Amino acid sequence: MFTTGSKLLLGSTALAVVFAIVYGVTAQGTLGVFGLLSAAVALGLIAGINIYSGDANVSVDDTAAATVAAAARQAPTGSPWPVVGVAGIALVMIGLVTTSMVTVIGLVAILAAVIEWMLQAWSEHGSADEAYNGEIRARLANPLEMPILATIFAAIVILGFSRIMLALSKVGTVVAFSVIAAVVLFIAFLMAAKTAVASRTLGGVVAIGVIALVAGGAVAAVSGERDMHVIETTAALAERGQCGTEPSEADKKASQTVAAKSNQAATVTLDADGSLSVSVPGFSPSAQSVTLPRSNPNNVLFRNQSDHERRLVIDLGPSGDSESKTLCTALVEPGAVQLLTVMFDKPSFAVEGGHRFTVPGVDTAVLKVVVP
Amino acid sequence: MTFHERTNVQTSEPMTSVASVSSDQISRSRRPVLALGAVIGAGVVASSCAAQAPQDTWSPAGENAQMIHNLQWPIFAVAGIVGLIVFAAVGYAVWKFRDRGQPIPEQTHGKPALEIALTILPAVILAVIAVPTVSTIFALADTTDTECVVNVTGQQWWWEYDYPIADDGSICGFMPTAGNASPIITSGQMVLPVGTKVLVRGTSRDVIHSYWIPRLNGKKDMVPGRVHYLRLETDTPGIYAGQCTEFCGLSHANMRMEVIALERADFQKWLDNELKPYQAPETAAAKAGETVFIQQCARCHQINGLVDPINGELVVSAPDQFVWSGAAPNLTNLMMRNTFAGATWDLLSPQCRARVWEAAPEEFGERFLEGVTPECLNTVDLREWLRNSPAKKPMYADAEMLEVTDGKTRGMPYLALSEDQIDLLIAYLLERK
Ligand code: HEC
Ligand SMILES: [Cu+2]
Repeated sequence: MFTTGSKLLLGSTALAVVFAIVYGVTAQGTLGVFGLLSAAVALGLIAGINIYSGDANVSVDDTAAATVAAAARQAPTGSPWPVVGVAGIALVMIGLVTTSMVTVIGLVAILAAVIEWMLQAWSEHGSADEAYNGEIRARLANPLEMPILATIFAAIVILGFSRIMLALSKVGTVVAFSVIAAVVLFIAFLMAAKTAVASRTLGGVVAIGVIALVAGGAVAAVSGERDMHVIETTAALAERGQCGTEPSEADKKASQTVAAKSNQAATVTLDADGSLSVSVPGFSPSAQSVTLPRSNPNNVLFRNQSDHERRLVIDLGPSGDSESKTLCTALVEPGAVQLLTVMFDKPSFAVEGGHRFTVPGVDTAVLKVVVP
Repeated sequence: MTFHERTNVQTSEPMTSVASVSSDQISRSRRPVLALGAVIGAGVVASSCAAQAPQDTWSPAGENAQMIHNLQWPIFAVAGIVGLIVFAAVGYAVWKFRDRGQPIPEQTHGKPALEIALTILPAVILAVIAVPTVSTIFALADTTDTECVVNVTGQQWWWEYDYPIADDGSICGFMPTAGNASPIITSGQMVLPVGTKVLVRGTSRDVIHSYWIPRLNGKKDMVPGRVHYLRLETDTPGIYAGQCTEFCGLSHANMRMEVIALERADFQKWLDNELKPYQAPETAAAKAGETVFIQQCARCHQINGLVDPINGELVVSAPDQFVWSGAAPNLTNLMMRNTFAGATWDLLSPQCRARVWEAAPEEFGERFLEGVTPECLNTVDLREWLRNSPAKKPMYADAEMLEVTDGKTRGMPYLALSEDQIDLLIAYLLERK
């Protein structure tokens, strides 16, 4: 009988009358009472018209309007994109006063919101059929969305996982890796076996997993990486001037660190009789000198054929403000090899005494290097 | 249902007139295309007969290139015959079974006998070709018969050569007459004795370059941190041109090089000349030029034996502090080469150039060993180079853009020299031979 609209208007009219009485009794002002009564009259008038016109419901008389009138169009479906867009604007502003990274994220959010919202609005004009509209939207947007979403998802997983792995202890990483791998395998098995686990349950498990990963990653990132043990290199020895006969940490498992065993500029060999010789393709082996280019890293392979652990040392002469620069290999076990990469910035004629390879502990082992 | 009627694209407009073109018109419109194709084809064929083709792989001038040539001719022939057969078969099928409105013939799937035959036949051909190919590859990689070693180092955008000294004091298999061996270092032009098995040991100081003298051997990439080997051998005295064949940046196209092949006696002369002590400047201009050189150029360019008259100390260049690659050409005997800056420009004037470049093999050595005389100097290009080298050869030498290289240039920078300074420098450089 009473339509929704007229109920509201009639209620308002009654309220205005009640307020007029209450006002008149308590505040005893005539102006307020007059104003409220006027409002009651006006509201009553509108309520009357509304009741007469049946809430302006045209379809009451005109049934065709139900399908043809503008009001009959599908209301737009809910959309998260305005919210995302506003959040983007907020992020841009926050970013302007904090770090530019936040601004970038905000801009990305705005861009995504604009594109997605436009696509959605466009598709909603496609037809009156919501399912069809969804389809045309998906056809256009999915090729763009899927890769981006997949990348973001992968990035989250990788970032979270790697932070966790870097923060855990050495043993902890092994345990965590095994457990996570086992869980993933188990879930995959469940999915493959199509057991009675409801897809909702599965979705829930996966969601919990991802959240755990993100949370764990965030905690791990904040707590920082574990202490990593850095193995000393021979460069450190050279810096401290310890290219002598003393073994050090840099010399551990030396022969396992050889890279680029092929393609050296020269192979320098320490023979059992304590002499150094060099072999370079194209030349017969020499016990006197080797020519190596200037301003270029030269890979020299050191082969220890003597009976003791030995290292190859080269003195590069004074350079810049430093006194004299020395480079060396690690201590090489008898019969093993090591690579020494050496770069000369001066020609030999500019270095007093020239450049030479030596072996600490073996006085007879000297090999001249000619740098043209 | 007027509201959500989907709009249709209007297609009532006539699209293109393809449908209305008669077959007669098509063939008429194709005629110019055919004619153009014929002209291009004829041009390609004709260009292969070019007389001036200094970088022609089809005219080998040494044992290694000859080995490649001996391999590529028969393979070219085999591939050509196979190609002709394939084209003929395709052409026949296209013509024979062209569409004349006949019904589509019965379709068959799979014909094992034919398929197996067509798999085995190419495999057999390839296997046969593999025999000489693999043996040639191994022959070209042999280093045991080396008679002379030259180190080649590529950098943006020129090649450096150094001739290491062997234990017996010889360089490239030759004993210096004066007995004073020291390593020879030069750029752009690699001087070699004819009939000598040379082993190039190549590397790079910055990016990958590739060394290719087409008439002497195949290409070899020169890679930072690695040493690659390339055999070279020449039969006849003369100049063999090549260029860098691995894109290496801005002036890749201006990174050229030459092999200068000299009779063995001439090579001995060249070698002895390279090893002679520093030649103090003779004329007053050259003397002043030496001072300019020490002030402006010596920080990058080495001239062996140059002593600074002010403090009596040897002048040692430090290109590693100014140039990204860490090197600049050694100018000790600049005027003994006849091209410069990545062998891109001539040091010989156009009038004098032909006398050397087109000399008969018997005369070549003598003319080359004259070096660049004052009358023959190509002052135009050299002056332009000294005036503003990055304007002449594109190089990364703009001070504002050198942040990434820590202020070091790739190539030679603009030095703001006055014309007078350039005069003096040229007088000085002219005596460097
Ligand atoms: C900052 C370092 C630097 C300075 C200073 C410099 N050059 Fe250069 N110069 C180079 C480099 C690098 C090249 C090689 C450029 C190329 O070919 O790509 C070169 C090439 C040359 C060449 C060609 C050499 C050849 O063998 O092809 C000549 C000649 C030359 N410079 C002369 C001079 C003179 C004269 C001066 C002094 C006025 C000078 N340069 C100052 C770096 C320098
Ligand atoms: Cu190059």
